[in-house]
Amino acid sequence: MTVIAAPRTTSSLTRGLLPVLVTGAVLALVPLRYGESRVMMGIAVAGVLFAAYAIAFNIIFGSTGQLFLCVGALAGIGGYTSVILSDQFGLPMLVTIGAGTALAGLFGASFSWIAVRRSLDTIFVGIVTLAFSLAFEQFILGQRDFTGGETGLRVGTGGDTFLREQVPPYYLFVGLLVVYLIIYLLLHRSHLGWAFRALRDDEEAAELAGVNVTRYRIYAGVIGSAMIGLAGALFAHVEGFIGPSTYSFGSVDIRVLVILAFGGIGTLLGPIVGAATFTVLDELLAGLTQLRVVIYGALIVAIFLGFKRGAIATVASWWRRE
Amino acid sequence: MKAVLFDGLVLGLQYGLLGVGLTLVYGLGGILNLAHGQMAVVAAISAALAMNAGMPAVPAVLLGLLVGGLIGLLLDSTVMRPVYKERGESRVLLSLLLTIGIGFVIDGLLVWQFPIATLRLNIGGGPISIFGVPMRAGSLVATAVALIAAGLLVAFFRYSVTGRAVRSVIQDEEGARLVGVNPAAVRTLIFSLSGVLAGLVAVTRSMTAPIGVTAGISFTILALIVAVIGGLGSVAGSFLAGMILGVINTISSFYIGTYITTIVLLTAAAVTILIRPSGLLGQRE
Amino acid sequence: MLEISGLSAGYFGEDVVHDVSLNVSEGEAVTIIGSNGAGKTTLFKAVCGLLAASGGTVVFDGEVISGMAAHRIARSGVSYVPAERHLFPRMTVQENLALGAYPDKPDDDDFELVFDLFPRLSERVGQRAGTMSGGEQQMLAVGRGLMSKPKVMMLDEPTTGLAPKLAAEAYAALARLKDQGLTLLIAEQQVPLALSLADRGYVIENGRIELEGTAAELEKNPDVKRAYLGIA
Repeated sequence: MTVIAAPRTTSSLTRGLLPVLVTGAVLALVPLRYGESRVMMGIAVAGVLFAAYAIAFNIIFGSTGQLFLCVGALAGIGGYTSVILSDQFGLPMLVTIGAGTALAGLFGASFSWIAVRRSLDTIFVGIVTLAFSLAFEQFILGQRDFTGGETGLRVGTGGDTFLREQVPPYYLFVGLLVVYLIIYLLLHRSHLGWAFRALRDDEEAAELAGVNVTRYRIYAGVIGSAMIGLAGALFAHVEGFIGPSTYSFGSVDIRVLVILAFGGIGTLLGPIVGAATFTVLDELLAGLTQLRVVIYGALIVAIFLGFKRGAIATVASWWRRE
Repeated sequence: MKAVLFDGLVLGLQYGLLGVGLTLVYGLGGILNLAHGQMAVVAAISAALAMNAGMPAVPAVLLGLLVGGLIGLLLDSTVMRPVYKERGESRVLLSLLLTIGIGFVIDGLLVWQFPIATLRLNIGGGPISIFGVPMRAGSLVATAVALIAAGLLVAFFRYSVTGRAVRSVIQDEEGARLVGVNPAAVRTLIFSLSGVLAGLVAVTRSMTAPIGVTAGISFTILALIVAVIGGLGSVAGSFLAGMILGVINTISSFYIGTYITTIVLLTAAAVTILIRPSGLLGQRE
Repeated sequence: MLEISGLSAGYFGEDVVHDVSLNVSEGEAVTIIGSNGAGKTTLFKAVCGLLAASGGTVVFDGEVISGMAAHRIARSGVSYVPAERHLFPRMTVQENLALGAYPDKPDDDDFELVFDLFPRLSERVGQRAGTMSGGEQQMLAVGRGLMSKPKVMMLDEPTTGLAPKLAAEAYAALARLKDQGLTLLIAEQQVPLALSLADRGYVIENGRIELEGTAAELEKNPDVKRAYLGIA
């Protein structure tokens, strides 16, 4: 008797694992060169953080075509929840990070559920989540007592752990990144991945073939959102300070979009490539604050115009129902 | 309370005009222009710079509106060209991403080059009583301008040949081509017009509060909320939604607070999409 | 007046219409007969510029119109009344007709002509096109096509969805138009009606012209009789 499915899945998993491990290894080398500089390590952490955000967004949008323009807000939910619960209510950090992650996942699940229930077009999902992002920002600004409003919050919890040191947090994030890559792999090489591909290509056909569209959309929504929330929460405790600009649409979502435009949506290492490119670019432009905004905007335009065959055509073929 | 209501209606009319530009461009070409607010600011700042250089107010404002129209023309004939080659959802998505980028470019350029430029049209004259409510001269002029603009728009669409041609493209593009209407030319016209309308709103807003170079994003968000609630593609819907939101905004700001108000408006937009994606009066399939 | 030579056209890279040649002289009524999917609509769309042809040329009144944009072809005197009609649903009969004359402003005579032909339309001048019945919409579509004072009118299955009485009325109207000198090119599945009006006809099958002849010849042709008239 021949077993057909299992070995194939396992071997394709191991095939995918190799680039992941290589990536992890390469990234682990960074502190050898820059470990002395607190500034450089801070930049490196931010770079890996955004790569993590991008992978999660890839799962949500790349896999199931749900345009969640609320990456920042989801990260913020993770971050602010964890910080408030730990600093202001004294709960242990691991618990609060878990709570932040869970809450973000819950929001993601809700968005997915609503989107499927109301048969929302991609653009409307985008607008609703964008509205949510903006509302979240206003909420943070408005609830000054809890969130510190404009001025933000100093994060006490974690201050005495390895999280505030120079190099260890970087390794933590690299580890997180590797885990996220593996999650992406697992999702895509498993039967879930097949379901994702099916519902991207033709939702009705997938539904008829027995793919529970609602369930898979929600899976992607929950997993991706939880990943974002976790990353956001971890970052809060590592950075030691969070404010409205840490998780705003302009600082997070735009960057994630640019990163994925660079690196390619729907690819395993695209987010890594994109984040690396972007981080370097960001540093090169560090001095020119206002011009930087112009350049990012121009890049967004150029990339989405130039790679139209690549980026957008790929994207379009994923949620176009034809 | 009456005063708050009046203020709300005054604001609402301008909100309506703001949404109209965005909704028209969407209704015609399936394009979501998230740089709409930035076009408004460019127009306003152009007027401000002209006034700083000594030009009297009225010609400066007209110049600003012209600049707004030109920006629309420029965008449509360059960046939007590849977008028109896409169809349906691809087109909307691409337009959304591209215009976000363009918005950033414009924002960045303005803040970089003219960080302190501001448009403020001081309309002198004491409060005038309308239906027993004292209103500042600035509000009155703003309202008058907005009303005239709205009236002209309605007349344009209902009675002019070109206006009818625009409606024909919205209602059935293939039919429009068959009667000799050039959809591309119509789209360019409307895009330019949306630039002028955006500029007009910035100008009227500046009659009651100064408009700085960073106002672009809030204008865009507002335009989006109004257009979505009114129904993407519906001019009447935009005005209706605008009025309602103007009143809600004023009442909420007055009695509750600004942060909550913004959240209320955003929630209203989200709820509209969830309950009735076609908006109040929208009908785009 | 209208010469189509070697026209091929299709969708997504695949041709549906292959190497079609036909012509229509001034004042003639020519019909193209074929069953569903034979390529009539594709052919018409390619002639009118709604679809890009993959090969061949179309010459109208001495001018090469193949490759021209649809709206320009419409303005040069070719009026196309599609099977789906493509009326403007939220505009009134009046507005739909007025647009027919675009870019010119229609004068009262133009309206008179249409109302004379279709009295029922004059009763519904202020009604929105989307709320009208199939027959009325068909009349409106033809009327709109007339407002531009075209030299040639192409109609794609004008009797679609019409009860026999209405279909006959529609053809009676077309006959009047022919008498007034309008050149007609009509794609039809309803062969007897088509042949009753046309001077000449072409039979199209699988995207190719299989038969050509005068109306009388086609009516007597045994293949036509068997395939389209249901006569063994």
